[in-house]
Amino acid sequence: MTGSGMSGVLTAGSQTWELTRRSVVGERRQLLSVMPGLIFPLLLAAVYTKQFSRVLDMPGFPEVDSFLDFILPACIVQAVSFGATAAGSELALDIENGFLDRLLASPVARWPILLGRLAGAAVVASVKTIVILALFLLFGARVAGGPAAMLVLVVVAALLVLVIGGLAQVMAFRTGSQEAVGATFPLIFVSIFMSSAFFPTNLMTGWFKVVAENNPLSWIINPVRRLVINGWSSADAIQALGLPAALAAVTISAAVMALNRRLATP
Amino acid sequence: MTVVIEASGLVRHFGDIVAVDGVDLSIDEGEVFGFLGPNGAGKSTVVRMLTTLLHPTSGSARVGGCDIRTQAGDIRRMIGVALQDAAIDPLMTGSELIRLQAVLHGIPRSVIRRRGPELLERVGLTAAVDRRVGTYSGGMRRRLDLALSLVHEPQILFLDEPTTGLDPTSRQALWAEVRRLNTDLGTTVFLTTQYLEEADQLAGRVAIIDEGRLVREGTPTELKATVGAPTLRVEVDQEHVATTRDVMTGFGEERPSREGRVAIGLSEGAAQVAAVVRALDTAGVTVIHLELDAPSLDDVFAHATGRRLEGSGDEQ
Repeated sequence: MTGSGMSGVLTAGSQTWELTRRSVVGERRQLLSVMPGLIFPLLLAAVYTKQFSRVLDMPGFPEVDSFLDFILPACIVQAVSFGATAAGSELALDIENGFLDRLLASPVARWPILLGRLAGAAVVASVKTIVILALFLLFGARVAGGPAAMLVLVVVAALLVLVIGGLAQVMAFRTGSQEAVGATFPLIFVSIFMSSAFFPTNLMTGWFKVVAENNPLSWIINPVRRLVINGWSSADAIQALGLPAALAAVTISAAVMALNRRLATP
Repeated sequence: MTVVIEASGLVRHFGDIVAVDGVDLSIDEGEVFGFLGPNGAGKSTVVRMLTTLLHPTSGSARVGGCDIRTQAGDIRRMIGVALQDAAIDPLMTGSELIRLQAVLHGIPRSVIRRRGPELLERVGLTAAVDRRVGTYSGGMRRRLDLALSLVHEPQILFLDEPTTGLDPTSRQALWAEVRRLNTDLGTTVFLTTQYLEEADQLAGRVAIIDEGRLVREGTPTELKATVGAPTLRVEVDQEHVATTRDVMTGFGEERPSREGRVAIGLSEGAAQVAAVVRALDTAGVTVIHLELDAPSLDDVFAHATGRRLEGSGDEQ
């Protein structure tokens, strides 16, 4: 609806870019709010690495030099989850204060509005990931897959923001309240613990193992972890990037549908 | 004259609540149309439907010749919208918002570099362009909101309660800008307000909405003429209210008024005041206060709905 053909694509591109800029600028201007999402996962990683150094000798545990290597993906996913739900609350804030209406009343396709709102948080997540990587390397972690694997980590972090943020946006449209969106955070938080993030699934038992093995987060964390521990593999990279990219497409489409339903519901 | 906004049988439900109950509109190019009604009358819901932010439950409307359901994109390109409460991201600066709005409307950067400062100057925000909007006063936000809605030089402008909560000076400034847009650029303005004075000052034509239905429509002069006679309002002690009513209704039809007062339309004009006062005196009623009003839009509203507009007492 923003024009036709090539010029329409160009317009949508610059609109998405400008909306992205807006959310990046917004993040930069409230940078302090990013810190807890960075410090908490790092603290947890430090404690776990100290406490669990002995599990490295357990039969079935991946061959790693340090628990740090094992916990790196978990630390990143956790750091990302903080900013991602916040991005959903920001949309709820836009709904509450009416800014979303301003965007909707202008000739912009619906998806750049939603994608742009998350893009700032995605950029922040990438930066957080780079900081975490640097600190882990400083404290002796090793990324076997090399710089390419690190790049994959950074991109996966950004894509995960779109997945979780898209879900939070669906909640935002359903409820229109910041508080309700904030309530999705514990859900994400728990689902990280119920995945392979902190422990390999092959060493789990019972229903917990079943849940963790079927948790989409595990499907993303496992190939990422193999890139960190075992070395570069294109197949792992494709799985690590492809799954969150596909999930992001699903959650953001769901958010667009929720938006359209919001306009129409009598 | 080309009709630029037309609605027929517009209805919108929210669950069991009927917010808008069959509204018909026909607004010509170049008009300033005032949509007057109390809080919750359905003004904003009508605006949201006309600006493609909400689908109607039934009925249809065209804006600038385009259907609000099937040609929403074309309408969005044509219209400027300043909604209630000046919705602005507090973390951004004035100039950033202008640029964002311009890009959303696909305006080339070279154009906005020239037009942006012009617009901000016209609404008196030049000194504040690089400050975050969070630090703006209510009046400044409204003026920025108006500037934003004008970035793409729209032919049709929707203003939803543009001066609610503003001080008199800011209100006057905004009125002046709306008049200028209308007379200099020929912009059609659809304005909602709960202020009678605002509708009277700005609008060439007024529709009064109450409980989702249009109850009156016409020029302010036409509407006031329908009420006809001037209103005589008399304040007396509570114990004399009944007697006062008996006496006064002999001179004209009773009109709604506040507690402790009796109001009538003087069917034979202001000359009757002396006779009314004499009759009250004879009946032993002490008059505390007396006022004579030429018909106002408030009288039109009261005449149509049996109630006074909220907050109108503070206005006069």
